[in-house]
Amino acid sequence: MVRRVLALPSGRIAVVILVLIAFLAVLGPLLAPQNPLATSADTLAGTSGAHWLGTDYLGRDVLSRLLDGSRISVLGSLEVALTALVVGAVPGILSVYLGRTFEWITLRLADTLVALPFLLFAVAVIALLGNGITQAMLVTGALVSPLFYRVSRAATLSVARSLYVEAAVIAGASVGWVVRRHVWLKVLPPIAVALAQTIGVGFVIVSSLTFLGIGVQPPAPTWGGLLASDLAYLSRRPWAPLAPAVLIMITVWACNLLADAIRDVSGEAGRALVNHRKARANRLDKAEPAPAGGA
Amino acid sequence: MSSEQTALSIDPVVPVPPVLQVENLEVHYGLRRRRRSALNGVSLNVAPGETVGIIGETGSGKSTLARAVLGLVRASAGSIVVGGEDIGAYGPRQWRALRRRGVIQYVFQDPLRSLDPDLTIEASLAEPLILQGVSREEAATRVRAFLSRVRLDEELLDRLPGELSGGQRQRVAVARALVTDPRLVILDEPVSALDSANRVQILQILKERRADGVALVFISHDLGSVAGIADRIAVLYRGELVEVGAARDVIGAPQHPYTRLLVGSAPTLHTAAADRAERAALRALLHA
Amino acid sequence: MTTLSEKLHVQADESTVSADPPAPVLSVRDVRISDQAGDREIVHGVSFALTPGRAVGIVGESGSGKTLACRAALGILPAHFEVTAGSIEIDGRDIAGLSSAEWTALRGATISAVFQDPASYLNPSIRVGAQVAEVIRVKKGVKRGEARRQAIDLLRAVHLRDPELVYGQYSFELSGGMLQRVLIAAAIAAGPRILIADEATTALDVTVQAEILDLLADLREETGLALVVVSHDLAVVAQLCDEVLVLRQGEVVEQGPTRQVLHDPQHEYTRLLIAEHEQYGLDRFLAPKEDA
Repeated sequence: MVRRVLALPSGRIAVVILVLIAFLAVLGPLLAPQNPLATSADTLAGTSGAHWLGTDYLGRDVLSRLLDGSRISVLGSLEVALTALVVGAVPGILSVYLGRTFEWITLRLADTLVALPFLLFAVAVIALLGNGITQAMLVTGALVSPLFYRVSRAATLSVARSLYVEAAVIAGASVGWVVRRHVWLKVLPPIAVALAQTIGVGFVIVSSLTFLGIGVQPPAPTWGGLLASDLAYLSRRPWAPLAPAVLIMITVWACNLLADAIRDVSGEAGRALVNHRKARANRLDKAEPAPAGGA
Repeated sequence: MSSEQTALSIDPVVPVPPVLQVENLEVHYGLRRRRRSALNGVSLNVAPGETVGIIGETGSGKSTLARAVLGLVRASAGSIVVGGEDIGAYGPRQWRALRRRGVIQYVFQDPLRSLDPDLTIEASLAEPLILQGVSREEAATRVRAFLSRVRLDEELLDRLPGELSGGQRQRVAVARALVTDPRLVILDEPVSALDSANRVQILQILKERRADGVALVFISHDLGSVAGIADRIAVLYRGELVEVGAARDVIGAPQHPYTRLLVGSAPTLHTAAADRAERAALRALLHA
Repeated sequence: MTTLSEKLHVQADESTVSADPPAPVLSVRDVRISDQAGDREIVHGVSFALTPGRAVGIVGESGSGKTLACRAALGILPAHFEVTAGSIEIDGRDIAGLSSAEWTALRGATISAVFQDPASYLNPSIRVGAQVAEVIRVKKGVKRGEARRQAIDLLRAVHLRDPELVYGQYSFELSGGMLQRVLIAAAIAAGPRILIADEATTALDVTVQAEILDLLADLREETGLALVVVSHDLAVVAQLCDEVLVLRQGEVVEQGPTRQVLHDPQHEYTRLLIAEHEQYGLDRFLAPKEDA
């Protein structure tokens, strides 16, 4: 599937952007040219040789703060997404096979969780347990998990009731075989789509929380925090809040783009798309046979 | 019926046991007030190597019969003996063991949805063999060797089902059912969704494969296809077997009014088995 | 027991002997249909003339062009398909220049059709009776109560056992055969002279198919309805039609009176169809009847 996604231009763009962001998250703090916490007298300066993106109201280098803050934002959103995945997808797939009671309980749990507002809960968790994005993100992940539950359950159900699974059962397949051989491949694409979307959502949640000043101690830079602190100076240095805003936007956009690309190459439409491209390539081959011996 | 069995057996002293024995099978759906009876006291035997056609229209219970024999639906009463084993009280584990022995197989009506759209033809064909414990290499060899018998080309092995035509897909489904060399194959409307040319080809392939000794239970509402291939015909009407006999007898001299209506309804080229008035009379008789 | 075709033939003979040959109610002359998008001719010259009370059968596999020919006669060719040569006349009128309003008047009242999958031609959220009544109201301009009464009469005329009950049911509550009858009722509601049945019985069980074919034959006899029966099954056409056209990849490979085509097929494809039927049909089991 990875290959098919990369074959699409939208897939390529999305992957490149997200890889870059991930890169920033891992190496960002090390790449920061200056100490992100170091204040200077040179406040609200424009771009210059020393400060590629200028300085903020305390004279701190914006670029360094961005790079340093990337880790928290990316980690936070990954925490949300992965928690949601595990908490949601596993019961989702199992609910089809573990009997009526389990199915009923998980369905009602999912319904309940959906009703709870996750941003408020995240704030509440931080209020209770103190600053620290991770706890908040784990709770948020649990609250967002119904999406994965529903998606994986629906995919599993449609496969479980299909004729080819019945054919496998008639040939002697066990539940484990059916899941490994047939269900898995069908469940993966919708989960991948949900994952991409949830990472984007997680990003927005982290940014929202840090924007509100919740979860991270003030001097530590975060993208949301940067956006918040520089917003006051919008009239004087309009591009100050732009950098973090644009980064957040691009990341979320890339996540959704990736989700779309995965959706485009999976399922019925996906197979049709792959066939269509294959047919087109074949036609081109026939029209212009590759020059012998290499051109 | 027993005389037919002994006629087929090699040693007339020891009668060959039927490959399928259904006795007074009843299948009900729902509870108490909303109980619906799908099958009511159906008894049928299939001898090894025999082809039995079961004619049934919508609501006759033919699919329920197939599913009960395959263990996909639980019988409410009566017994089913498959390959000498009474499967009446079988749990999932025993069913798996029986199925993995490759005794009984099934061909679906829908050629598109009965193949996993994400698995190559080779993978789909090898699946029943691998489930039996055959190694991947040997499965691949056996699959390859089997292709010619269903008139499929080797180059189709790497394709996905979506790339094949309806006729090709159904041939793959037939191949998948036969590749494990089963003793009994149940086919539920295997050619109904196909056009005439493909239909004839599949029926021809099935006829040829009977030489392998497999018994076929061919379920269909199309009297014509069944007549062309079956040794015996059983007629299912509203959950009951109303007539059983040699194909020639059931079609040439039907006894039960429903069978007569069936035979009289099938459009023929040169002769008309019944005219409109007769059909109307038979319908009135059945609905009385 | 005389065969159905014999009976019909006798009737037809009587009518042609006693009166002047009636004007054809549907006249198709060398019609060619092309796909403008792919710039290909799909149907290469179909011709037949249909007089009241007669039935013409078109036999062909999918892709043979039989459905396109029907759609041309109804004025519902898919986008970018066109009749590029020949003419179609309904009741003496050339349909080539008809406006949309003229077509609307023509459909239902003069020419009508039923197709293959009955359920998909009915709105699943409206009771079927109301849908038949709607046709009556629109085409005949009668009031609601009267339309309901006429609709129930129609449902009875198509041999539905309990018309009042069926009137109030939804499409999912009815079997395929019943749905097709409802659609036939709707199709004949405005008293058309031509009914096209395009694979109308293909998805149905064999006894139900016989009922529908019997119904069409009854309608033909009782009302003089002219039929165009399209099927991939030669036997269906043979049972009902006076004249047969065998279509293959858009071309008429054989055409003539049914009996003649079946007994003395000229084209190889026709012979193939007949041979398939003889191998996998009931003919060899049934005692051969005397054909007049």
